[in-house]
Amino acid sequence: MSEFLHFSEHTLQEVALGFMGLVYTTRIVWFLRRFKAGSERQAATGPASTTPKKGILYSWANVAMPWAMESTRRQYLIYTQFVVFHLGVTAAIVLSFIIPYGPSLLESQTFVLIFQIIIGAAFLVGVIRIIRRVSNPYMRAISSPDDYFSLVLLTTWFFFALLAVPNQTSGGEWHLLTYFILTAFFLVYVPFSKISHYLYYPFTRYYLGKTWGHRGVYPAQRAS
Amino acid sequence: MERDNSMSKVTTRSLKAEQVIDRMGQKLNRQMAGSLLACVHCGMCTESCHYVLANPGDPTYAPAYKGDQIRKLFKRHYDWTGRVFPKWVKADTVWSDEELEELKDTVFGKCTNCRRCTLNCPMGVDLATFNRMARGLLVSVGIMPEGVAVVSKDQWEIGNQMGVLKEDYLDTLEWMEEELQDELDDPDVAIPIDQTDCDVVYSINPREVKYDPRSIADAAKIFHVAGEKWTMASEGWDMTNFGLFSGDDALGGSVAQRLYEKVVELRGKELVISECGHGFRSTRCEGPNWAKYDVPFVMESSVFTMLRYIKEGRIKVDKSKNSTPVTYHDSCNMARSCGLYEEPRELLELVCSDFREMYPNRTENYCCTGGGGAMSMSEYTPRRLKSGIIKANQLKETGAEIVVTSCHNCVDGLTDVIRHYELGMEVTQLVNLVANALVIEPKVAIPVEEEVVEVLALAGRTLLVADDEPDQVEFLATVFEDNGARVLRASNADEALELARVEKPDLLTLDLAMPGRDVGEVYEILREDPDLEGLKICVITGRPELRKLIYDRHVRRPEGYLDKPVTEDSLVLAVRRILEVAHEEAAAPSDA
Repeated sequence: MSEFLHFSEHTLQEVALGFMGLVYTTRIVWFLRRFKAGSERQAATGPASTTPKKGILYSWANVAMPWAMESTRRQYLIYTQFVVFHLGVTAAIVLSFIIPYGPSLLESQTFVLIFQIIIGAAFLVGVIRIIRRVSNPYMRAISSPDDYFSLVLLTTWFFFALLAVPNQTSGGEWHLLTYFILTAFFLVYVPFSKISHYLYYPFTRYYLGKTWGHRGVYPAQRAS
Repeated sequence: MERDNSMSKVTTRSLKAEQVIDRMGQKLNRQMAGSLLACVHCGMCTESCHYVLANPGDPTYAPAYKGDQIRKLFKRHYDWTGRVFPKWVKADTVWSDEELEELKDTVFGKCTNCRRCTLNCPMGVDLATFNRMARGLLVSVGIMPEGVAVVSKDQWEIGNQMGVLKEDYLDTLEWMEEELQDELDDPDVAIPIDQTDCDVVYSINPREVKYDPRSIADAAKIFHVAGEKWTMASEGWDMTNFGLFSGDDALGGSVAQRLYEKVVELRGKELVISECGHGFRSTRCEGPNWAKYDVPFVMESSVFTMLRYIKEGRIKVDKSKNSTPVTYHDSCNMARSCGLYEEPRELLELVCSDFREMYPNRTENYCCTGGGGAMSMSEYTPRRLKSGIIKANQLKETGAEIVVTSCHNCVDGLTDVIRHYELGMEVTQLVNLVANALVIEPKVAIPVEEEVVEVLALAGRTLLVADDEPDQVEFLATVFEDNGARVLRASNADEALELARVEKPDLLTLDLAMPGRDVGEVYEILREDPDLEGLKICVITGRPELRKLIYDRHVRRPEGYLDKPVTEDSLVLAVRRILEVAHEEAAAPSDA
């Protein structure tokens, strides 16, 4: 392993991760201090079985319940893509820790194959998502340069993660280097892009769930 | 501040634009900021909006697109990513009043705040909440649809959103009390006013006074049969709240507080809110927050009250009296914002013999198209009716003949959709069905044989209908003729003036938007003509903003006012009321 690859796998990642943590902390502090939470004075409405606590839990779990929303029920293919894409992201992130800190795990061919299937599927979904964002007039109308850039970059990252999974340098180090440099770039870029949506997800879902739980809307009654 | 684009003609920000940006900072709370930050432009919300479904190929109706028109301001001025890299994240600002007008078109004209997209957003982005915030910001600088300005003004100044005067309100209650006494053949039936220490204080929508007084009588009938100790307030009785639609929290808080304080003054134990989606949400849910008022009494929808009376055996109902197939339309404010969707169904099962579910329903139901104050914004009517195709298809598929809803806005919105798409359905409310199903023990009476002669409601009256739309003229004339009136027709203001002078009708129905001579001018001539002193005028218009044509003139106001679309019942009731009040006024001196 070259010194540059070692630097990319360790020091570069650690610095980038530290930077991301710092920016995230700053953003959360800004969000919580700058914006006061609205208070609720009304007495509860809706079925007695619904409460703010149940509403919050239902709201947080909503992402894993495709049957709960009409949008995910009807567009189940897009929901499936969402699941595959985010599993791919998780796998590619985990990979960035496995290679430097637990490379022995990748000696198992089954392990490698599972990671390659997940990340490969995520790469395909990334391509489909790029095509959808470019060709669908509704998606084009709401897309910003950040939306396109983030998606293209993530898809590219999946491609190099796919190549990096076996952790082999016999054919050269370029694919591993590219994967780790891209990972570091992401760690720095993500806090400023829409990819940081997961930072706000717990908050938006918490407040929506709390209000709708108090008002008897969550857990939602399905159309019977 | 100066625009950085030197090619642009606008170099400085308008005062209104400056104020909108500044005030946004004061309005933002954590829930709104979270929603503004969290959207990932995934597009999952797109097909949840009835505007999108009715306008295929037009992305400007997509919830995420509409949200971006507000989000761009937030990003540019309050989120540091947007401050540093505005173009990268589509952050932008507003410079001119024209740009604010464009924003007005989006937040008022392309969204009814129905919250269906919120329910379908994987991230939990509450578009309706920040859309309402944007409406409030625009209203605070005087940019809003004319109808919103008119209604808000009425609610601020007169105390109710339809500008119903106290004497008209009390007259209507008295009239309904008499009708009820006749119907039940019981002189003791009353609509109590300002009684203290009652168990129930009943609040209503001013629409009931103007267009649907029968619903007040029906509620009174139910309270009477249930043996309820109840009252209505002479003031502070309007439970609707235009602050919800205009985004004006100050108006919202003031209106809600007026209502709460009246109940406290009367020492009422419970405030019962008549069937109205936005009224219920405003009074029951949002009002305490806007007014920062901890309400010391119980508040409930009349749907719960009626259901409770049946369950407690205080009233008996016979569902076979309502045998026509009915379906139920969930109001967005009731179902999606207050969780009120099972009780109406439970009640319907008790008072109707043929209830058919609509799909989708409950929290997933589609908007009636009249929500968010849309009925008062006549400039967006074509857009609203076009979007109504989704509702029309939903209604048609039920196979029902009557659509029931617990919301007055929905009654109007659905009536419009039904008429526009020629569905031939009737719209009613639960209070009407419950009243109709009531089992009232008959009084023991000695039968007297007498000849029953049906007297038509408008027999012997001459009415002049002035409207430039032939369909509307035909509709009004047919309704009046069916009720025994002689009808004259005019298609413009000049013709109406001519006919009024020659024929001297009892009442003129006047459309405000007719070609030719200015309707306001003709109205003034009619009012000043001593030969036409007895002529009663009822304005019927689809453009409420034109009211200023006559209200700004220093002549007597019209005796009646109806917004289009009008239903047969509301039309006959309104005209009868005008003519009966006139008759009583004429009779008063000789009685004294």
